[in-house]
Amino acid sequence: MSLNTGQSLTVSGQDLTKNGSSSRAPWEDARTVLKPSTPTRKPKPPKPENAITIAVSARVLFTMEKEQQIYEQQGMEDYIKYQVEHETEPFSPGPAFSFVKALEAVNTQLRELYPESEELFDVVLMTNNHANVGLRLINTINHHQLFIERFCMTGGNSPIGYLKAYHANLYLSADPIKVREALEEGIAAATMFTPEKIMEVSETQLRVAFDGDAVLFSDESERIYKAHGLDKFFEHEKAHENKPLDHGPLKCFLEALGKLQKKFYAKGQRMDCPIRTYLVTARSAASSGTRALKTLRSWGLEIDEALFLAGAPKGPMLEKIRPHIFFDDQMFHVEGAAEMGTVACHVPYGIAQRVTKRGIWDKDTSSAPK
Amino acid sequence: MVSTVQNTDVKQKESDHAVVVAVASRAVFEPEAQGGDNVYAEGVAFPLLQALQKVNERLLEENSAESLLFDIVLITTDSQQQQQSSHLISSTKHYGLEVSRFCFSTEEDFIESLLQNNVQLFLSTDRNEVSQTSQKGVLSALLDEYTTSCPSEQLRVLFCGDAVIRPDTNPTPASRQAAQSFSAQLGKMRQRFGMSDSPLSIVLMTSCGGRDSCGGALRTLRSLGISVDEAYCLAGSPRGPILSVLRPHFVLSDCFSGLED
Repeated sequence: MSLNTGQSLTVSGQDLTKNGSSSRAPWEDARTVLKPSTPTRKPKPPKPENAITIAVSARVLFTMEKEQQIYEQQGMEDYIKYQVEHETEPFSPGPAFSFVKALEAVNTQLRELYPESEELFDVVLMTNNHANVGLRLINTINHHQLFIERFCMTGGNSPIGYLKAYHANLYLSADPIKVREALEEGIAAATMFTPEKIMEVSETQLRVAFDGDAVLFSDESERIYKAHGLDKFFEHEKAHENKPLDHGPLKCFLEALGKLQKKFYAKGQRMDCPIRTYLVTARSAASSGTRALKTLRSWGLEIDEALFLAGAPKGPMLEKIRPHIFFDDQMFHVEGAAEMGTVACHVPYGIAQRVTKRGIWDKDTSSAPK
Repeated sequence: MVSTVQNTDVKQKESDHAVVVAVASRAVFEPEAQGGDNVYAEGVAFPLLQALQKVNERLLEENSAESLLFDIVLITTDSQQQQQSSHLISSTKHYGLEVSRFCFSTEEDFIESLLQNNVQLFLSTDRNEVSQTSQKGVLSALLDEYTTSCPSEQLRVLFCGDAVIRPDTNPTPASRQAAQSFSAQLGKMRQRFGMSDSPLSIVLMTSCGGRDSCGGALRTLRSLGISVDEAYCLAGSPRGPILSVLRPHFVLSDCFSGLED
């Protein structure tokens, strides 16, 4: 039996041809069983210009706490030595792990419906790490059976140029400085934090939650609130209800998700779409929320659920939704979400960054490999 | 006829231990442009020469008795350039380039000259020269217009893990041997420096294969004593955009030929 590029062979000898034909003679079955096991041919990664590229750093994809400590206390040489010594020990999953698994689940479903299409998620490992850590990272990816075939290990150089080269649609990192740099270059990016407890999330439906102002939308309204207070904010939003807000750093990512959602809708999967999006905003449904919804509509974007909390804490609501990832521009909300088990990411954009008293960037960890 | 002239401005390297790198004169100087005083204008290989010099400088800082240094030779590869010998010498001295000697040869005998001078790496902007030299078993790499925008503070050498960058050349066992031995020396040089702030960065890129292909290449280089600083696995994504960020001074691919996964 010949193997052409369309076919793959599992260890058990079951023929998984694309068109599912199984018209083999009995002796071919026998030969299949006797043949040394051929690894299942992996699907080819999509071309970057067709795919939605998600770049993740090593420290958010995996847990590297112990190694991070060694780096901070003993320096680079000891850190590398430790990594190489433990090369065959896989890292355990980090906060971005379940998000990446959910992206792969969506890809599997997209491939079933559109086998020829390259409009898929493509996850790229984008790390500052030295290539000496490379084998341990590759071993870990193999161990967890993640579909990550592309990576950049920059050995201390900035990842920004590579993010652009890959047309990254989203960059997730534990390093707020790199995230800020990426945002300044127009790349959607967020600093990911590890939640304090593990929350179970869906393995088949990707759920992404966004804050509104300074995430999907610009921070223009937030500025008014910060400068003139809540009443002025309400007045302003009511008066400008029909004027769309300017776009925020994550608008394009929502747009990319919407594009994939439409592909599922086209195949009749609207009610149980494998991608679900949420707006979780402090705006109120009765008043300021209207402008948010009208803005989304003017952009031709849909959001599946809009939750207007009118200032209530977001943590409990997020616990109900169970998103794989949540984006907010305010650390107060990010921390609140992480406390309750949501994988929350900070988008260091807009007026909220200047007003907050806490230092956003911990300079001590700024040069740590990610 | 080949003539070899030593550069009296530069301390000669120990021939047994130094890594001889020959750079074609057309890459070092712009042959047409003259910056007055019979001094040639800088060519595309200038940042490369500066980077090689920087490595030597730092090696000597670590150990003033270091003998594993780059020994840079300027070689002419055609009779026209051969005629310009005095200008080449004066231009080299004018810029203070760390060129130990000059080989004035023609298109007929420059390869012979490379072999006689125990050249371990030949760099040129001429594709034919690179191809011919490689076939004769001398490791060679092509310099192009991107070379000019490479950094001068750090030598960046790119190993292409799946040998696709130069599909037109068929590496011979001799050139593979030359590649491995040069690479091993490069690996030794790299060991003289720490993990960060190294004047030499060894970069690996695999273009077509996935992560296991890159992992295999990392292992192969490790077995040759080469510790890689940066690794990029493209798995089919276009090379151009990545290379323009990477900015390697030159690319080596012959280490891996014959070791297809």
